[in-house]
Amino acid sequence: MKTELEKPSFALSMRGVNKTFPGVKALTSVDFDISKGEVVALIGENGAGKSTLMNILGGVHQPDSGEIKVNDKIVTIKSVSQADSLGIGFVHQELNILDNLDVSANVYLGREPRKLGIIQKNIIAEKTNPFLKVLGLDISPDTPVAKLSIGQQQLVEIAKALSKEAKIIIMDEPTSSLTLSETDKLLNVISDLRDKGISIIYISHRLGEVSACADRVVALRDGENAGVLAKDEITHNRMVSLMVGRELERTTNTNGSKIDQSKGFETKDIITSTYPNNKVSFKISSGEILGMAGLVGAGRSEVAQTIFGVDPNLGGSVYIDGKEIKRGSAKASINSGIYLAPEDRKRTGLITQFDVSMNVSLASLEKHSNGLGIINNESEKITANQQIEKLNIKTPSAETPVINLSGGNQQKVVLGKWLSMNPKLLIFDEPTRGIDVGAKAEIYKLMRQLADKGVAILMISSDMEEVIGISDRIAVMHEGKITGILGRNEFTEENIMHLAVGGSSES
Amino acid sequence: MNNSKLGFINNNRRELGMLGLLIALIVITSWGTRESGVQALFESKFLSADNLKNISREIGIYGIFSIGVGIVIITAGIDLSVGSLMALLGVVFLYFVTPPETRPDSFLAKIIPEIPWLAAVLFTLLIGTAIGVFQGLLVGKLKLQAFIVTLCGLLSYRGLARFSADDTSINISDSSQNLEFLRFLGEGSLSDVLSNGNGSGFLHSIPMSFIYLLCFAIFFGVLLHKSVFGRYIFAAGRNELATKYSGINTNIVIAFAYVIAGFCTAFAAIPFCIYTGSVQPATHGAFFELYAIAAAVLGGCSLRGGEGSIIGILIGTAILIVLRNMVNLFGYPTPLSDAITGGVIFVGVLLDQHGASSIKRIFSKKPVSGN
Amino acid sequence: MKLKVTETILKSSLLAWITFLISCGGNNNNGNSGNTDSNDSGIKKIKLAFVTNATADFWSYGKAGAEKAASEHDDIEIEFKMGDGTAAKQREVCDALLVRGFKGIAISPPNPTGQQQMINDWAKKSQIITVDSDAPESDRLFYLGTNNVEAGRQAGELLKEALPNGGKVMAFVGVGDQANAVERYQGLKEAVAGTNIEILDLRTDEANIGKARRNAEDTLTKYPDLAGMVGLWAYNAPACLKAVKDKGVAGKVKIIAFDEEVETLKAIDTGEIHGTVVQQPYEFGYQAIKALRSIIIDNKTPQDLEIPDTKQKFIATKMIRKGEGAAYLKKCQEWKKGG
Repeated sequence: MKTELEKPSFALSMRGVNKTFPGVKALTSVDFDISKGEVVALIGENGAGKSTLMNILGGVHQPDSGEIKVNDKIVTIKSVSQADSLGIGFVHQELNILDNLDVSANVYLGREPRKLGIIQKNIIAEKTNPFLKVLGLDISPDTPVAKLSIGQQQLVEIAKALSKEAKIIIMDEPTSSLTLSETDKLLNVISDLRDKGISIIYISHRLGEVSACADRVVALRDGENAGVLAKDEITHNRMVSLMVGRELERTTNTNGSKIDQSKGFETKDIITSTYPNNKVSFKISSGEILGMAGLVGAGRSEVAQTIFGVDPNLGGSVYIDGKEIKRGSAKASINSGIYLAPEDRKRTGLITQFDVSMNVSLASLEKHSNGLGIINNESEKITANQQIEKLNIKTPSAETPVINLSGGNQQKVVLGKWLSMNPKLLIFDEPTRGIDVGAKAEIYKLMRQLADKGVAILMISSDMEEVIGISDRIAVMHEGKITGILGRNEFTEENIMHLAVGGSSES
Repeated sequence: MNNSKLGFINNNRRELGMLGLLIALIVITSWGTRESGVQALFESKFLSADNLKNISREIGIYGIFSIGVGIVIITAGIDLSVGSLMALLGVVFLYFVTPPETRPDSFLAKIIPEIPWLAAVLFTLLIGTAIGVFQGLLVGKLKLQAFIVTLCGLLSYRGLARFSADDTSINISDSSQNLEFLRFLGEGSLSDVLSNGNGSGFLHSIPMSFIYLLCFAIFFGVLLHKSVFGRYIFAAGRNELATKYSGINTNIVIAFAYVIAGFCTAFAAIPFCIYTGSVQPATHGAFFELYAIAAAVLGGCSLRGGEGSIIGILIGTAILIVLRNMVNLFGYPTPLSDAITGGVIFVGVLLDQHGASSIKRIFSKKPVSGN
Repeated sequence: MKLKVTETILKSSLLAWITFLISCGGNNNNGNSGNTDSNDSGIKKIKLAFVTNATADFWSYGKAGAEKAASEHDDIEIEFKMGDGTAAKQREVCDALLVRGFKGIAISPPNPTGQQQMINDWAKKSQIITVDSDAPESDRLFYLGTNNVEAGRQAGELLKEALPNGGKVMAFVGVGDQANAVERYQGLKEAVAGTNIEILDLRTDEANIGKARRNAEDTLTKYPDLAGMVGLWAYNAPACLKAVKDKGVAGKVKIIAFDEEVETLKAIDTGEIHGTVVQQPYEFGYQAIKALRSIIIDNKTPQDLEIPDTKQKFIATKMIRKGEGAAYLKKCQEWKKGG
């Protein structure tokens, strides 16, 4: 707990930082230190104050009180550009990459070397190259960013920070959309940067990565310091207990006990627009959770969207309880009891400015209206309150806009929308992305409860731990094809990875 | 009780703010035009029966098409074609009620038959709605950008109107039908309609166009704020993708907004061309689309979509018309009217976005927030 | 730092805008006219207005005339309103004037036939006369305007002076079937009938100035022996002049103009244009206000004012010849300044 005292001087030190937003005390006297060449993981549940603290460091917010020292000098960071000049680089979770420009133009965006107002492309490219090399990014600086994978784009963001001579790089959930191999690569890059004397603040919910790369872990809880773990103290359970304030039972698989093979969902030869040459067929029994693993871009979300009917119907058929259902629109699928909790909640799952009750009722307004199409607000509200209670949605009221809720509660609102109806197949696409540990456990529990009530569940996830821990069977996809379906006794990371990179299940 | 009151104020903050602005304008105008000697505000020229009739007639006409444009804006779209469509429909409507030999020599003049005025009204509404369907399908179904589709409308309807009228003005007085009753319906008052032009008293101060506006406001108010369809309009405007993922056919919802706009425009076009007595296709209804957008924005519609209300649009329209009336009654130079309108919209939106404190902050020496 | 700059800009623009509004309102001595029914001496002033069809230099001269008339009497005050070319705007303006208790209004309706009904409505509440464009079927008291046939005849007289020996002459106009074009052309032909002057034809350009010049050039090419050109609309004569200069026959081919374009007036003094026929918008403004005042205050009838039974009074057009151009230009500029 006294690790920070053993280091002689800190590259950065924050002391007694307070910040209040209207109505919310976001940070209470928070301390944070990082020394040269150190990787510090900042962990905490959503709403614990991680983002606020980092936004203060990055110049986005100003603290109400507290002291920030960079290299022993007291500084005030009033703007993002000031943070830049102090050597603080911020790689945001949502990448700030302009995909209509090439790599070098992104790295030097806003700081283009120019002569008479003309941008000097060659010089930018020359200057960009060394940073790409450092990051092990083997691409030409004039590659259009749109052609890069998300992992590579992430590295371009880091190159951008390095080109501004950042001494401290803040990485906010850098791996949330990376594949396993990309994550590994990023962790290597992080350790390289550390060796070069750059300090890294690493924010992640993925505790496996944290233990792999962090020299020290700083936990926040409810806007206060919750504790510090030195390198040899970093374990999954200790991190969780710091974050939630108690020992949380690790999610273990409660095997599907009520699987009914005679009923459920089946799809035969459906075709997605991304991989029109591949046909996908699989079956999920009533009461079963089928995990779907694979690398980003394997076509898993497209399968979900095609089944749900928001992507065009290019062929194949879908059955519920053995009966073929009508397809072609989301409406048709919803009428047959096929629902999707999509990957990107804010973009496709919710209307964030609408309140909880309006989001819950959106897909079932016919039930809450009279013959003239006039909405019955009472019945709407009753249903919303039922879901709030059932799913334990933490919201001041049913009339609170969902934008004010945390990620986990937002996800529950998405579920509330479907559970107020009559699900036969519920597809979860990355159900716990960006959700904190406590809410994750609740969602896992809920999935199992639903399955036990006879719902077939398809869970698409890139979180290996989650797939292995929750699923009854795991289907693995590679380039639009299912390369294998694993039973419980075959669940290992190696097996999944083998299939995910295109190996067949026989070998 | 207190809480629900606060909720009401919070939920209707924009509308209440703009209502305050409207009341302020009314008080200022009444004060500025009060009769000398008689100090009472209520006896001002602004509040005279004649003036109230004049402005409510204009609010009626402008309000109807602003409702249409406002609904389109709530779906995150825009309709720039309103003014031109009014010119085109004005020409078409007057062709319907005038004998072919009085019309200029153009192809539209030759194909449009002379029909009784009631049928002419219905056909004009039908044509306006059909044009709305056309634009709606382009925007909703084919996913063309609303700005571009309706910009093309703005140019082509105007051009078509000028071409089909041979760039001359078409006059309602050329009609050989007895249009007295239509005139009452268009620009007359309630008592004109009820007593065939002999009315007087209070009912005489209520123009028909204002009554139409009230009917439109009630109907579309219920549609927008109480019905399932209205909820879909707000949802599609806020987040079309998420609405689609809830199984709602957003293409149809968005297309329908343009149909409503087409119908509203057509409905307003008829009293408006009776009001002006003629249609000069080059200038008839020019810039009306911008008045409608201004009214909607003043009334709390966001151009990003998903926000707004019918009552807000009405208040916005009333602000614009009262402002113009104020400029006229104060005897300010006419060209200043648009400058004042622009300024009030600017101040209104500034107040709305940043609250009264922003104005205070701008003018106070020390910044309120900061370090 | 940046925020401060933004704030400063916002602050100053808002202030500038408000200052602008106040100063505009303040300059207009009729601001808050609701309170200015009585002037300093306590005499109640009668309010009269002049409402034009559109905004044009022509009407700036009319405004000067109207203001001159107002300055000659201390029992009236006037407002001069320029329209935007639409009947809707004119209706909005006039309705407000009537609410404010204006006793007499001179209007130039942009669309006379279509506005008959509204002119009748206004005539019930106020004394209405029409100026420059007439709605003969309406209840207006009378009409003041230009007799375009007479104006055409004057152009013919100028042409006869310029071409005593006669010759071939081409006429140019924007739109051939508009009333003033038809009448001016008719007057022109009447005036030269029986002389050696031969009017070849009327060339039209749909009010396209570029086309007007091309028409002139083509005519010079087709008729090498052309002796004269008449431009019936204001821009036609300057277009002819450009074509003539281009061909190097300036001064040889005689040009007759209409209206008081600056180029026209300058070219008259240099002799490149023989003369022009100008309307009298100043007189429109002056006489309209004078007439309204006599009807309302002196209880005169139109007959007393020597308005003919046709209820149309024409104000004669004027011919401007060599040596008079500069003086007329100066007068126009004074009127424009509001002198």
